[in-house]
Amino acid sequence: MAAITTDDRQQIKKIVCDILELEEDEITETSLFVEEHDADSMRLIEILSSLELNLKVTLEQADMARMVNLAGVYEVVSESNR
Amino acid sequence: MTGPDKRRPRLDLVGWSATSPFGIGRSAFAEGLREGRATATALDHEQWQVPAGRACLVPDFEVRAVLGKKGTRMMNRVTGLAVGTVGELLADMDRSALTPETTGMVLGTTGGSVQSTLDLTRGSLSGERPFHVEPGLIPYSVMNGAAGQVAIWHELKGPNATLAAGRSAGVLALSYARRLLLTGRAGVVLCGAAEEYSTARAWLARHTADPAAGEPLLGEGCAMFALAAAPADAPAAPASLVGVKAMTCSDGNWAAVVRRCVEQVLRDADAKPTDVWAVSPSGAAGPGGDAEQAVAEELAAAGGIEVPVAPLVGEGHAASAAFQLAAVLSRAETDERSTGRLSLVTTTDEAGTVAAALLRHH
Repeated sequence: MAAITTDDRQQIKKIVCDILELEEDEITETSLFVEEHDADSMRLIEILSSLELNLKVTLEQADMARMVNLAGVYEVVSESNR
Repeated sequence: MTGPDKRRPRLDLVGWSATSPFGIGRSAFAEGLREGRATATALDHEQWQVPAGRACLVPDFEVRAVLGKKGTRMMNRVTGLAVGTVGELLADMDRSALTPETTGMVLGTTGGSVQSTLDLTRGSLSGERPFHVEPGLIPYSVMNGAAGQVAIWHELKGPNATLAAGRSAGVLALSYARRLLLTGRAGVVLCGAAEEYSTARAWLARHTADPAAGEPLLGEGCAMFALAAAPADAPAAPASLVGVKAMTCSDGNWAAVVRRCVEQVLRDADAKPTDVWAVSPSGAAGPGGDAEQAVAEELAAAGGIEVPVAPLVGEGHAASAAFQLAAVLSRAETDERSTGRLSLVTTTDEAGTVAAALLRHH
């Protein structure tokens, strides 16, 4: 398992905020994409694909189930093959 | 069929709106049309990577400026036009009278957004891997993206259809809406057509235009109508849809097919040419448009008025017939002579479609 850097976290947060159309101070590590930020399945796919595109990682669709908030995304990305 | 079927419900046009080169909304459209205002403007080449020239654009139309920044990050122009126009249409209607589950949406188009389709394809070809594409583009790169987004945005849960028919799309969308209503698939149908101006469309038009016919200025926009079934004895809406006829011209004899199409739509309604108060041809360049023009002039000579639209707002492709429908409705609202009489909208498309719609003003 590779740890992720502060820079990675910042980049992930920026990607997520861009897709969910949020300012960075509107989101926390534990706020929920769907329940609190009105994300739908399309937005979640966009997050997954955009992370793959920008971080050059491969993520399994099965891991989307854990990507419910920023903390979950950090976890999934840190476990990915980079 | 000989004559109108009296048992059928009347199909009322209970509302309309337009986002056009005249501006946003129904009153901007009515005012521009009344003034006969030309809308061609010089193109901003920072925004559009096209050869120097002019086009008829919806003034100051930027999706995120018009619809806000929520849900619009990747929204393309044609979707923004459709979502915005339906918003204007619904704002004029009693929303509480609409049941989401029985409110349908029919959107006419040429082929969706060629710009979005090409952007996605280009991304796939130029990215590191073919699947490294911007996922947010995908819903908009298929042609039913706009109709789907309209339904999501405005919470319409009835039948949702996209109809690709080029210049005839507005008339054929009305016809499709009519069938949904007559078969009980929907209680109200919001229908119309939209076309966006884009760099890709401008280049396509430039390379496919018939040089002999002259190169028309491109236009863009969207017009939407609310069509609802009403019992034949219910109080009348300002206008109702009497009939739609569509034919194919496969042998190049546009004059004969256009004439036959108009004759049949009138005959099916038991109407005579002198019952026609207004006629609006597509104004398309080429033999199809010329054939429509000849029929329009005959009907005008028989006592109708001609309502030209394309000379003011440009070649709207999918939006053109929808603009023509909006134009006759708009003109009828301020002309008492329309009462009880008919409006005819004709349209032709290079792919071979010839279509006509007949409306009655009340």
